[in-house]
Amino acid sequence: MTTLKKTDVIQELNRLYAEEIEAALRYFHLLHAVRGLDLLLVGPKLKEAHRETIEHAEVIARKIRTLGGVPMLRVSLELDATPVDGRQALELALTVEEAALEAYQDCLRRVEGDVGLEDFIRQQIAVESEHVAELKQLLLD
Amino acid sequence: MPGAGAGYNVRVDANRPSSTAPVTWKEFDQNVISHSAAHHLMAIDDLIGTLGYARVSDIARRLGITRGSVSISLQPLKKAGLVTQDENRHLRLSEAGRSLVGSIKTKRLLLRRLLAEVLGVGGAQAEIDACKIEHLVSNETAHRVLALLRFLDEDPERAERLLADWRLAGASCRHAPETCPSCASECLASLVESPPTAPKRKTP
Repeated sequence: MTTLKKTDVIQELNRLYAEEIEAALRYFHLLHAVRGLDLLLVGPKLKEAHRETIEHAEVIARKIRTLGGVPMLRVSLELDATPVDGRQALELALTVEEAALEAYQDCLRRVEGDVGLEDFIRQQIAVESEHVAELKQLLLD
Repeated sequence: MPGAGAGYNVRVDANRPSSTAPVTWKEFDQNVISHSAAHHLMAIDDLIGTLGYARVSDIARRLGITRGSVSISLQPLKKAGLVTQDENRHLRLSEAGRSLVGSIKTKRLLLRRLLAEVLGVGGAQAEIDACKIEHLVSNETAHRVLALLRFLDEDPERAERLLADWRLAGASCRHAPETCPSCASECLASLVESPPTAPKRKTP
């Protein structure tokens, strides 16, 4: 660790862990909030996003454990019973993905000097950027 | 969205029944902004005041929540025209947003003074309670609180006499509803107390 203390790195990873778990919950809820035929269109995308966010959370949790920590989860979430159409679901998904992308970009600046972690964060930035681009394409008129 | 002078407290419902009592609880839902939204707006205002800018990540750190939550929470505020975001993703308050923040901050100040200086609530508790209701009280109530504070500020000696009298009276509750001018069949002071909270479950 050249620039950051181990506890600081764990704190940064915990923030990303919370982002991913919260995103997974949002995708799960969104999947069940989409009504009608739109579900056929966006359902698979939301399921895939849910699965991927859980996978990302798992990777982050493993990194925290490797550093000798225990993942800490602090999310505050209230998801109401409002039905959404396919477009609204994708717009929300885009907001979530953009937030995740920013979270990783922000984290990269903070973990500068930790080569291993930098690599991991860069990979995540690439993945999230792809998701954002894909969702933007789907939302084109 | 009403104009700055029209008050941001409650959306006016044209179909609202004339009797207010049965629908009072619904007013809570009709409040223009939630507690969370109020904190987002004030965080933006504070960050711009201290850093000169406010980004989603700064708000997330300030409020101790995820960026995802902040982004989602900001959407209705942007739609309502209270918050804008520039090409560098820096957030700004619109004129309406600034006006709303000013109103909330003023109400917090008035409520904190009412609770601490007039009612004698402890400083920390007064701050917490003022924070809980700052965005919920009507402009009418805020104006009446201001009028009371102005009345007290006008003549500090008179204020001191009045407050000393009522603090003395307030301290003399004998928990005897039959002789109390404020209580009916039960002692209101006893009813205010909620049951003790259950111990928090220890997380594994």
